[in-house]
Amino acid sequence: MSRNRSTTATFSSRSERMYRRNQNTVAFAPSISLGPISHTVLIALMIAVLGMIYLTQVTKTSTYGYQLDSIETERASLIAERQDLENENARLQALERVKSSNVASTMVEPAKVEYANN
Amino acid sequence: MSWFQQLSSVMQSRTFVLRLLLLLILAVFAARLFYIQVIRHDYYSEQAFQTQVSKLTILPERGKVYALDGDKPVPLVLNQTVYTVFADPQEIENESAVRAAMQKIAGGEMVDGYEEFLSSDRLRYVVMARNVSQTQAEKLREMKLAGVGFQKSSRRVYPEGQLGAQMLGYVNSEGEGQYGLEGKMDTELKGKAGLLQTVTDVRQIPLTIGRDDASISAEDGQDMVLTIDRGIQQKAEEILRTGLERAKATKGSLLVMDPNTGRIMAMANLPTYDPAKYTEVEDYRQFQNGTVSDPYEVGSVMKVLSMGVGLDTGAVNVNSTFDNTGSVSVDGTIIKNVEEDPIYPGTSMTDVLEYSLNTGVVYVLEQMGGGNVNEKSRQTLHDYYVNRYRFGQNTGIEQAGEQPGIIIGPNEGQGRNVRYANMAFGQGMNITMIQTAAAFSAAMNGGTYYQPTLIQGTLDEKGEVQENAPKVVSSAVLSPPASNSLRQMTFEGRNKGFFGDKDPKGYIVGGKTGTSQIIDPNTGRYTDDNSIGSYLGFGGADKPEYVIMVRVEDSKLTTGYAGTVAAGPIFNDMSNWLIQYLRIPPKN
Repeated sequence: MSRNRSTTATFSSRSERMYRRNQNTVAFAPSISLGPISHTVLIALMIAVLGMIYLTQVTKTSTYGYQLDSIETERASLIAERQDLENENARLQALERVKSSNVASTMVEPAKVEYANN
Repeated sequence: MSWFQQLSSVMQSRTFVLRLLLLLILAVFAARLFYIQVIRHDYYSEQAFQTQVSKLTILPERGKVYALDGDKPVPLVLNQTVYTVFADPQEIENESAVRAAMQKIAGGEMVDGYEEFLSSDRLRYVVMARNVSQTQAEKLREMKLAGVGFQKSSRRVYPEGQLGAQMLGYVNSEGEGQYGLEGKMDTELKGKAGLLQTVTDVRQIPLTIGRDDASISAEDGQDMVLTIDRGIQQKAEEILRTGLERAKATKGSLLVMDPNTGRIMAMANLPTYDPAKYTEVEDYRQFQNGTVSDPYEVGSVMKVLSMGVGLDTGAVNVNSTFDNTGSVSVDGTIIKNVEEDPIYPGTSMTDVLEYSLNTGVVYVLEQMGGGNVNEKSRQTLHDYYVNRYRFGQNTGIEQAGEQPGIIIGPNEGQGRNVRYANMAFGQGMNITMIQTAAAFSAAMNGGTYYQPTLIQGTLDEKGEVQENAPKVVSSAVLSPPASNSLRQMTFEGRNKGFFGDKDPKGYIVGGKTGTSQIIDPNTGRYTDDNSIGSYLGFGGADKPEYVIMVRVEDSKLTTGYAGTVAAGPIFNDMSNWLIQYLRIPPKN
């Protein structure tokens, strides 16, 4: 008889056996055993669950691709918008435009330029 | 029953035959699978990779180009994301809605006559509008029109319009820089494309599930800041246009550079074009920057540089005189002066520049050879022209299509002495304006040849200019005393001459005219019907602050030589304006 657990399929009470202190005194043994078909079904189920988990992860990862693409599109859109604003800013400050502005049209060339001596 | 009979009985069983057949089929399948999966494994793996994995190019942004406004960079060339809007007529559900939307949102960019193709039952791709902006494209997208698609691209935008068109060049539809700066600096401006290698879905959207995914970022092109001053460039083009109209000329160029750094301040060419509409240009010569790609016989402006050779070699000095008889014979060929005056024995070297005396520079050349035009004098002039003034070779300025020009060697061909006598006053040789102005700058600034450049530096991420230092090519073009004497003589030559009263007091402004005859292609001889007028000069107070070179072709003025009546006034206008613009205080 083992010192740790019973090898029988029946329950043995503490009083029926002699154990040392702090040793497991209760043990259960399965009353039914699984056959080969059950094992096969269980393995198939486990594989199916693992497959589901894998697919979930892959799908989750691929959704990151869509999120990334969406962010990239937004970024490209903002860059294009910034370019448009830069272009408009440059166009408004172009020399020809400034020259033909109302402010410039009221300006006159100095008749004479003098330099002050230090 | 014998074993044979038993076997026959079994064989005759249909079940056994079926089994055997199935086994055979399975064996074939197994063999085929083995062939595909094991023997051709690499091939099919590669096929699968090619099908599932897409290689997407990440396009870099082309570098922008800036000019200077004082010290501040101002944009000359920018980028814009644009879209080509196309339709698939087979997918369009509401044609009138598509037409109305296009008219309302992209009216200015629509392709003429696209409407007639929308009803086609064969076409699958009809371009409706080009160069549609991001804002317009967004508005069209929001309308969710069936059968309408968008193709993204980038184009160059020119806020200053045609300003400096030939100097800038343009970018063609393949994204390649052509002519000017865009052509020469294409690699630096273009940047490096990136790569995204990934599994994609049917819409080519990248998915992050591949084992072989790779992402290499694109490197944007360099943002360049030019040495061109926007104000000077604009004024140069304005003055050149007015000057060409005044001279009834068809073509001209104007170059302004800083003789103390080699930096180009303006490079103007007329006729010009709009780089945003480069496809509309019919004559390709309009794309060329004449200041770097059009060598010609510069004529008498060369006399200043030949005089510099005479001063530097000691063949003549500021006090030298010669007996000017109005003509000189070289190997039996008579070379005459254009101007009749002055004809007297004590003609000075300054007179040579003031009156543009061919006989004077031939005298200088003779002195280099000990009194005659000979091999020694030819060798000396050639050495200075090629090795010091750097004619006959590209200056290296950042422009596509730069031409080296032609300087014939001192011992090449026939009539060498006559040719070199002609070369002393700018005939029988071809050089560009940039070569001439760069050499003249060296001759005026004390003898230092600076590499002519258009690039001030690059713009960093903070928007600050990272400046390039001026590059000294040679510091011994002329000795400082020779350069100082030549500068003073050039100043006096102008001051005493036709344009002496055009310059403000307190400044040193010197220069020289040049009128080049053109060889008639039909006769192969110089013709009097046409000419090129040039003016080459400098200005400043204590030292030369700018060098200007003007070229005018096909002037119709008959009141004088093209260098004087067509090119000279353009120099005067530019020089007087520059003195104010650069805020150069007078010396006294």
